[in-house]
Amino acid sequence: MEQFLTGTAALFGDLTSITIFVCGLVGGALFGAVPGVNMLTLGAVLLPFTISMEPGHAVMLFSVIYCSGVFGGAITAILFNIPGAPENAPTCLDGYPMTVSGRAGKAIGAAVCCSALGGVASAILMMSATGAIAGWAVRAFGPQEVFSLIFFGLVVSASMGASNLWKGWLSVFAGLLIATVGTDPVGGIARFGEWTLFDLHYKSYYLSAGIHFIPMILGFFAISEVLVQATNISLGVRERPKASLEFPSLAEFWRVRFTLLRSTLIGFFAGILPGIGATLAAFLGYSQALRWSRHRDNFGKGEIEGVVASETANNAATGAAMIPLLALGLPGGALTAMILGIFQIHGMEPGPLIFINSGDLVWVTFAAMFWANVAIVLLGWVQTKTVVHILRLPFRWLAPGILILATIGAYALRNLMIDVWVMFVAGVLAYLLRASGYSAAGVILGLILGKLGESAFSKSMQLMDYNIFGFFARPISATLIIFAVVALAASIIGELRGDRRQNRPSET
Amino acid sequence: MQKFSRRFLPLVVVALSILAGASAAFGDAMLQKPEGFGDRPLTMIVPYGSGGGSDQLSRAMAAAMTEAAGLEFQVVNKPGGGGTAAIPDFMLARADGYTVLEHIDDAVSAYASGSIAENPAVDWIPLCMAQITFSQVYIRSNEDRFSNWEEFVAWLGGNSGTATMANVGKVGSMELTVMEQLESALGIEISQISFDKPAERYAALVGGHVDLLFEQPGDVRNLTDAGEIKPILTFLRERPDVFADVPTHIEAGADFEPLTRFRGFYVKKGVPEEIVSFLSAACKAGFNTDSFQEFNRKKYMHLIDSFRDTEGSIALINDAIDTYSAMN
Repeated sequence: MEQFLTGTAALFGDLTSITIFVCGLVGGALFGAVPGVNMLTLGAVLLPFTISMEPGHAVMLFSVIYCSGVFGGAITAILFNIPGAPENAPTCLDGYPMTVSGRAGKAIGAAVCCSALGGVASAILMMSATGAIAGWAVRAFGPQEVFSLIFFGLVVSASMGASNLWKGWLSVFAGLLIATVGTDPVGGIARFGEWTLFDLHYKSYYLSAGIHFIPMILGFFAISEVLVQATNISLGVRERPKASLEFPSLAEFWRVRFTLLRSTLIGFFAGILPGIGATLAAFLGYSQALRWSRHRDNFGKGEIEGVVASETANNAATGAAMIPLLALGLPGGALTAMILGIFQIHGMEPGPLIFINSGDLVWVTFAAMFWANVAIVLLGWVQTKTVVHILRLPFRWLAPGILILATIGAYALRNLMIDVWVMFVAGVLAYLLRASGYSAAGVILGLILGKLGESAFSKSMQLMDYNIFGFFARPISATLIIFAVVALAASIIGELRGDRRQNRPSET
Repeated sequence: MQKFSRRFLPLVVVALSILAGASAAFGDAMLQKPEGFGDRPLTMIVPYGSGGGSDQLSRAMAAAMTEAAGLEFQVVNKPGGGGTAAIPDFMLARADGYTVLEHIDDAVSAYASGSIAENPAVDWIPLCMAQITFSQVYIRSNEDRFSNWEEFVAWLGGNSGTATMANVGKVGSMELTVMEQLESALGIEISQISFDKPAERYAALVGGHVDLLFEQPGDVRNLTDAGEIKPILTFLRERPDVFADVPTHIEAGADFEPLTRFRGFYVKKGVPEEIVSFLSAACKAGFNTDSFQEFNRKKYMHLIDSFRDTEGSIALINDAIDTYSAMN
């Protein structure tokens, strides 16, 4: 506690610190909210300048951007069905329907408050248990456990957003199939890099990098949404969503208290594991809310609990992701890798010794993340009252902007045109898929988890001498796989029995 | 993050021009540009993501070449496919010397194994190599079954006869080739587990999921300095001073020429000769700047001679191709 207060004092001790804190907060939220750019873009732009900054300031700036950037992506997910980042994709499922039905203010308000609550809770957990948790997570979670967790995530999230279970699974399988394009994770063999169709011979290195999920997400959500809205406008059936500014009430938050708690724990847990992080956290948080909620019939149609579940979980993952970084020097994602870079630029190496050698700095980081999450509430309240007005713009003005931003975003990912083509093709495909009840979120989930899962699976098989039953020799992986199989069986039985109940969310 | 170059180009250009102007005014021994070349920024393609080893090297070298030769660079990351996704764009660029490609020895092994068609020593012209380093075998510092290479080999023979090593996956890569050479020379078997992300590789060793790790010392310096892991074998002909107490593979009884990890800069074949020799000299001058030397020291890239000029680079690449081809 004393260290936390010292950290806080260092944070707000001088005007420079406060300015940097506020800039990081607003910058992260802004970059997170604009589709096509994200907090990584901002981080890369700022990284060279951190050399001349005080180490405390530099680390604080990036911790704050990390917190507010994850939250910022929710705004466009809710308003335009365009997730600012992959971890905001499940937020679209209920957030966008809420906008369509004129409750955009409530959806954004819920996203703001829950992002903040998830983040604060995670920051507190992080402060109380860093070293021990990190050591445990790295020891307990080998490739086998990571694969089992991904398998579990796939099974329980499969049916989200589709009109029925079968279409949900087909969507996920499509995503898994797309994930196989590119270089295989074991031997580095290029798949689909070369093929011959009748007399047409095709060979390219471009696909050796695989289909990246960022252009896929932009295509599946942003481009296809523009096409859907354009169809509606030309058919004369589009209604402009009402720009309501109503904030959710306390009673509404009380109603979802268990979802909040559950998503915080899921997010924290997923965040600790290197390479899993916020995206799986958000999908798991959402699917578990769907499973346990009393209002599950409303999921996918604009249920506030869905927004709460995914936004709490992805922000809870931020604090947790700092744990392996600080305690072991293992970054879980791109932004935490940049923070590692800042420590190194200033001659410090994260690892067990950092608590002893640079304890002050660690506590500045903790304090910065804590207060950033608290400040998100204020920032979010202001944003709710302002950003919703964008909805008043006619869609024929918004659409070109969305298309331009999406194109820039796809190209900027790797400076390769292939990603722009992937985005447009994905947009047209998604337009057709959505019209027939398949799930855009399912395909994206399959793509993201397919890549992670294949890599974890192949490592596991190598470690277990290609004996697949080895998964059951380890308690954590056995438990996760058995849970997954039971959940799968239950969902199939439920689907076969109760099609009439129609408790599946409708298409996104 | 790749936006960095584009968004900040104007700023960087202004800053660098001021720098360049200032040092020119002081009459530094700055290289003379060939007539009509280098008046606009050059593009430096990095085939790996921002923040990684190649990216950091490219940005450091770009800054050093600005300092030494007054050249301005726009660094562009085109990651993917183990460094192959960037190659088509490089090959499509005009052979005018304005497009420079950073690449590592993976391009050489990829050519040797047939995954790419371009021979880095023939289809590209190396300007220089700026980082050359060696590999080591690491174990956990608190490993209680063995604490050095000798004990490991004894444990391996007495125990089950197999051990696991976290390594990269790519068939025919430097990493797997070196291990194959070691295993066949010593008659031992170490099962190679393919990890595509470096952090996962390190976590697997630290977390106790594998017995050994194959890596270069600069990449795991934070873990060795923190005392979490330690090297037990060095792949070099002689022990470097920093690792004076770690045996080499030769001492362990395996006599082969060890492959190295090397990172350098290339232009396409067909670039006019005077431009190539200017860029090559600029690369050398950049390498010798204080700031770049400091950069390489921080990265542990000063332990062996880390520089080769064009001729030296071609020899290095051809030797590596011979080794890879002999193993295939």
